Amino acid sequence: MGFLDGVFKKKEVEIGSPAAGKCVSIKNVPDPTFSEEILGKGTAIEPSDGKFYAPADGTISTLFPTLHAIGITTADGVELLIHVGLDTVNLKGAHFTAHVEEGKKVSKGDLLLEADLKAIAEAGYNTITPVLICNSADFKEVVPGEEREVAAGDGVLKVKL
Amino acid sequence: MKTVNYAITDPVGLHARPAGIFVKKAAAYKSTITIKNAETGKTADAKRIMGVMSLGVKQGNRIELSIEGEDEAVAAQELEVFLKENL
Repeated sequence: MGFLDGVFKKKEVEIGSPAAGKCVSIKNVPDPTFSEEILGKGTAIEPSDGKFYAPADGTISTLFPTLHAIGITTADGVELLIHVGLDTVNLKGAHFTAHVEEGKKVSKGDLLLEADLKAIAEAGYNTITPVLICNSADFKEVVPGEEREVAAGDGVLKVKL
Repeated sequence: MKTVNYAITDPVGLHARPAGIFVKKAAAYKSTITIKNAETGKTADAKRIMGVMSLGVKQGNRIELSIEGEDEAVAAQELEVFLKENL
């Protein structure tokens, strides 16, 4: 340990939006599991396009059999969860197509999954997509980005190491 | 070491909210707590959300908790009650 650590060590990791849409506060998600940050701190995207991309470089640590949620662990140990829509576990995989499998290494921008947003909305589900840091407590701070329209890959969270 | 065996009855299994409340409860103890999905043999740290969710525990699956540490007795007893009441 020394002062050089501070110079050379990366101090924060930027997490990109997994999809194009609108970045909104996690507090606006009408599901307390997310808005009360039970699963970790984060932000949410109201997707305008059903293609979901890797928000950072990492490894797929979990892909739920129902394909509606995906976990990625980055090289810095950030455990990210992308949960497409609310209560979409009940769709049992319908309207979702996965392009990755568990254990696969991904680079930021790789296509992870596709969701038929229209069909999901018609089935009565909100497609708002929380993007969370499940191990928030391991880091100094998780800073959500400004509420705004975003393209996939635009920064929506900063994790201070 | 103490162990707790339980079959999950929550219809969505150990996902999202159920996983979140379970991890929060487990994290309150000093003991090391390992959770195993008895169907697959996969194990995870019960205090880490991503680990617990990655076990893919579905309704009807049996889980086994291995609890080791100074408060293992009380943790085992309380976690068993918690599982029965919530999951």
